[in-house]
Amino acid sequence: MAKEIIDGQTMTRALTRITYEIIERNKGIDDLVLVGIKTRGVYVAHRIESRLKQLENISIPVAELDITPYRDDVTHEEKNPADVVPQPLGVDINNKHVILTDDVLYTGRTIRAAMDALMTVGRPKKISLAVLVDRGHRELPIRADFVGKNIPTSQKEKIKVSMKEIDGEDKIEIE
Amino acid sequence: MKRYLILEDGTVFPGVGFGSSIITTGQLVISNNRTGIEQSVTDPDAEGQILAFAIPSIGSSGINRDFYESINSQCKGVVIGSSSPSTIDGSISFGDWIASLGIPGIKNVDVRELSKHIAEHGEMKASIMDTHDEHAIDQIKALVLPPDLVKRVSTRQSYPNPNMGIKIVVVDLGLKYSILRQLSYRDCNSVIVNYNATPEEIENLHPDGIIFSNGPGSPSDIPQTIKTIKALQKKYPILGIGLGNLLIALANDCKIIKLAQPHHESSLAVKEVASGKIDFVNHNHSYTIDQKYIGSSDFIVTNICVADGSIEGIRHEYLPIMCVLFEPEAAPGPNDGYYVFDEFLDLIDSIKFQDDGGVDQW
Repeated sequence: MAKEIIDGQTMTRALTRITYEIIERNKGIDDLVLVGIKTRGVYVAHRIESRLKQLENISIPVAELDITPYRDDVTHEEKNPADVVPQPLGVDINNKHVILTDDVLYTGRTIRAAMDALMTVGRPKKISLAVLVDRGHRELPIRADFVGKNIPTSQKEKIKVSMKEIDGEDKIEIE
Repeated sequence: MKRYLILEDGTVFPGVGFGSSIITTGQLVISNNRTGIEQSVTDPDAEGQILAFAIPSIGSSGINRDFYESINSQCKGVVIGSSSPSTIDGSISFGDWIASLGIPGIKNVDVRELSKHIAEHGEMKASIMDTHDEHAIDQIKALVLPPDLVKRVSTRQSYPNPNMGIKIVVVDLGLKYSILRQLSYRDCNSVIVNYNATPEEIENLHPDGIIFSNGPGSPSDIPQTIKTIKALQKKYPILGIGLGNLLIALANDCKIIKLAQPHHESSLAVKEVASGKIDFVNHNHSYTIDQKYIGSSDFIVTNICVADGSIEGIRHEYLPIMCVLFEPEAAPGPNDGYYVFDEFLDLIDSIKFQDDGGVDQW
């Protein structure tokens, strides 16, 4: 049975805090680019962007990233090299500080795929990672720079993030 | 017994005395609190103040004797309109209760007219007396209010509020107990120190974070605390509340101005800039941070008052310093502001995480 562990208010607060931390750790946010990993990472990116705009009056570019062609759980036989064509991000990331955003950080494989995807279209000065939830169980040497909430889980559990834009309400459940 | 509220400018408001029968003088402050008068009266912020409640009929639901914000400190007098409330269980009248605290009161005062007068002419000194002759008015005019309000309410001896969680040092500038209640609720292991504690004394307590509390009077009265903040702010996460916020602003080249209409209201709307969220929180301050200088400082504005657009919260861009001018601990008022304490603990956590994880240092 799904149990709500984070409500809408707490999620809002976590996103606001991530925004403050992004400001605090970047002297000047002019060269930032937010790249949201589809699907919910994009909403996370947009919410951070709107907060930065309210606080600093600067519009940060937001791009969407589909990492499907770069997944490593597709076998070599299935993988069609023609699929892996650089996707235009619509934003120049060369020499920029890219903040990748996603809803849940788990094994780290999604993030690795996202970094591969980014590298095919440009060479960022730096890549940071912001996630709503870090649930542990990494399989790659990857960690988040900005974490909304650390939620220790067992591998049997499932974390379900709902966001207003697509799910009608903000909450995080565990089951 | 007929008594008089006499203002500095010679205006006289007649009323009926209750509570203690002593003659009193102080800074007259108009409070728009509808509830929680017992918390307002025991709030150390009210040190040296005569509190006038602008709502004509207050306390009709009774007062709760368990809701106190300090043991010893207290306001100088209470001015109310028509009602003289008693405790919820009716065991003791409001008058007898404040008499037991040694506070004089005056009721049946035209508080609407009084608050209008103060809104037009600004906050001023006042006295509750038995007579209203020339001599009495001259006395109030000549009265110099003492600038050592913080010294009088701050704890002389450090004391612990032990628990098992994060270690917080609270610098007591006129601490409301509800701040400690909020820290206790979050398992914080806190130590409360005098406003004059040196940076070394505070560092020796090895805190994870430091809170500079609310308090009475003007921030310019305690320049030594500004020095303490300067010495500590690069080393520890800091939360400033009310007076604490003003001191932190002054320690970082911001300017302080008096509000045209002071905020003394238990439920006034504040907007969180980042998310647009509106919170109804308790305010008790006459000063704010000058908007003109905030742009050139290292602070960003995090909260603003919806009613007059004044700054209600700031945050340092590079250092782990967050401040609010309103009173997040409520008491009295709605509990919308409690999140500030969660946010401060999150801020401390995120720094500990960096220390452990070796992400870029501050």
